[in-house]
Amino acid sequence: MSSIILEARDIRYRYPRGMEAIQGISFHVRKGEKIALVGPNGAGKSTLLLMFNGMLKPDSGGLLFDNEPIQYDKTSLRILRRRVGFVLQNPDRQIIAPTVFQDVAFGPTNLGFSEEEVNKGVRAALRHVGLEGFERRPPHQLSGGEKKRVAIAGVLAMDPDMLVFDEPTAGLDPSGSEDIMDLLDELNQEGKTVIISTHDIELVYPWADRAILMLEGRILQEDVPEVAFGNPDLIRKARLSMPTLLELYGEISRRGLELPEQKPRTVLEMMNALDIAFRTGDKQKSLGSIVVGDVDLLDSGKLCAWQAAHPHAAIGAMGTRAKERAVHEKLTLDFTYGVIDKCILHALRGQDSLILTTGSMAARVFTRVEEYSKESGNFILVVSL
Amino acid sequence: MYEELLEDIAQTNGLREVNTYLKLATGLGAILLCLLSRSFVAPLYIAAVLTIAILFLARVDPKTYGELFIIPLWFGIMSVVAIILVSGGGEVYWSWNPASWFSLSVTSVSISEGFFIFCRVIGGMSALMFIALTTPMTDLFVVMKQCRIPEAVIDLAMMIYRSIFILMNQLVQTYQAQVMRLGYGSFRESIRSFAILCGSVFIASWEAGEDFIRAMDARCYSGKFVVLGENRPIEAVPALALAAFLITSSLVVVISGSTTLL
Repeated sequence: MSSIILEARDIRYRYPRGMEAIQGISFHVRKGEKIALVGPNGAGKSTLLLMFNGMLKPDSGGLLFDNEPIQYDKTSLRILRRRVGFVLQNPDRQIIAPTVFQDVAFGPTNLGFSEEEVNKGVRAALRHVGLEGFERRPPHQLSGGEKKRVAIAGVLAMDPDMLVFDEPTAGLDPSGSEDIMDLLDELNQEGKTVIISTHDIELVYPWADRAILMLEGRILQEDVPEVAFGNPDLIRKARLSMPTLLELYGEISRRGLELPEQKPRTVLEMMNALDIAFRTGDKQKSLGSIVVGDVDLLDSGKLCAWQAAHPHAAIGAMGTRAKERAVHEKLTLDFTYGVIDKCILHALRGQDSLILTTGSMAARVFTRVEEYSKESGNFILVVSL
Repeated sequence: MYEELLEDIAQTNGLREVNTYLKLATGLGAILLCLLSRSFVAPLYIAAVLTIAILFLARVDPKTYGELFIIPLWFGIMSVVAIILVSGGGEVYWSWNPASWFSLSVTSVSISEGFFIFCRVIGGMSALMFIALTTPMTDLFVVMKQCRIPEAVIDLAMMIYRSIFILMNQLVQTYQAQVMRLGYGSFRESIRSFAILCGSVFIASWEAGEDFIRAMDARCYSGKFVVLGENRPIEAVPALALAAFLITSSLVVVISGSTTLL
């Protein structure tokens, strides 16, 4: 288990005139975790998030970042804010400069980086969020999703250890939301700790490592998502709705079917549970295979040859660069979110699929599929292209 | 209510990638030549060349360009009519003397003078339009920096620039919300709604300012705002085009001398 990066010890906060917004909260976050903060409007989520980078100072109790109590003098705050990147809900309130380049360069410049470092950092950050070529555009001409990406790039350019997002998917269309969640996944895969607040249970349920349910300035429940969202009473209390999969699971088990103890977090896990329940998993049927292509190593010729040989195969892309490559190669992507699971589902139906991805994400495909094969007894072949 | 702003056109125009100094030199040079010329020919020539450049090189929608021209054109026409009636000299075509100290007349010299000024207005307008439609504000910041304008001024200009669009959005939203609930139905109601609109935009701008500071703080603000991209390099073709334009315009100024309409 990795070390603790953020810890709150009985923190309390009261707005200048009004009720206590945070009424004694204690929790901790480990390095590399994906945490979802959920709860109704006015539960104190945003207030709590604003404490993580020292924008608000708790009235009492202690906040520790990297096992050091947070100091509120100017120098310490600068160091803290560099390490904790904060992305506001409304990107219009976060983007301050007249062009995308200037905005992304704002943080690094103020941290005193050299011009060359700033240029390099900005280019890398824009590449990361898939906004290359947007440098000279003014923010007011961008779409909501693009603005959000600019805000994220502005924070990434400072290379923080922890990223805090207040409602990252608010106001985005479903596909845009999925893209942002995929980006958060990618960042997490690179070792960044990610904390988000959200109302979107369906999106966060398969994504989060842990969920924290908040109500009226207190923590109602803190656990893995299937437990945190699995209690109907708590869900009702926190004015949320249960993820469809959990509801389905509950409904099926109430019908007396025997389902595995482990509650499903994805459609794939649900199908697997059903398979086991009905014992209809036809072991004779041949399974499809999954091919993994690393876009940094892959040349177009090989890709075209593979596609020509497998005209009916589905193609999925994980990560921003893989998606850009697909656009570049004029590939139609069948999956852009939850790609591995969707490809496994595909393989279970006896069809082949190709996953385009980069570096560490490629390794993740192998482990995930092997894990699944072991768990379900359905052996699916994964190979590198 | 939301209208396409000049800035939006400038951001997407066909000459966006041309070096800013070249574009500024085109516009300012054209204005200077219009003022130097003593004949109506050169301003007309400049207006024609720049209009063609705006429509075909910068690919600005002709309708938009025409609409932009109408308001200054009205001012121009009204002042020209006044000049024609008031000034005199040469052959008299029409005159009216209602009082001993007051007379209006149309003469050959006054018509020539009026037409000359009218052409100057058109030439100068097209030069200003050329700058406004091809050079976005964001590029001008770079020029401001290179011209050694104090950083505090540029910082402020950039913050104002960014805020304009946020406040504009707020203004449009509030206005639409009022219109949807019949806020401008009667004269009384219009005044009331307008007051509310001003108030709400004032509060919004106050809040936007506070958000601005917060957003800057969250990203380690330490007094540095001016980070600018680079100007585009000066390329051969646009530079030659500029030279050709200035030289031919100067020639037209010299050759036409003080040719008048009549």
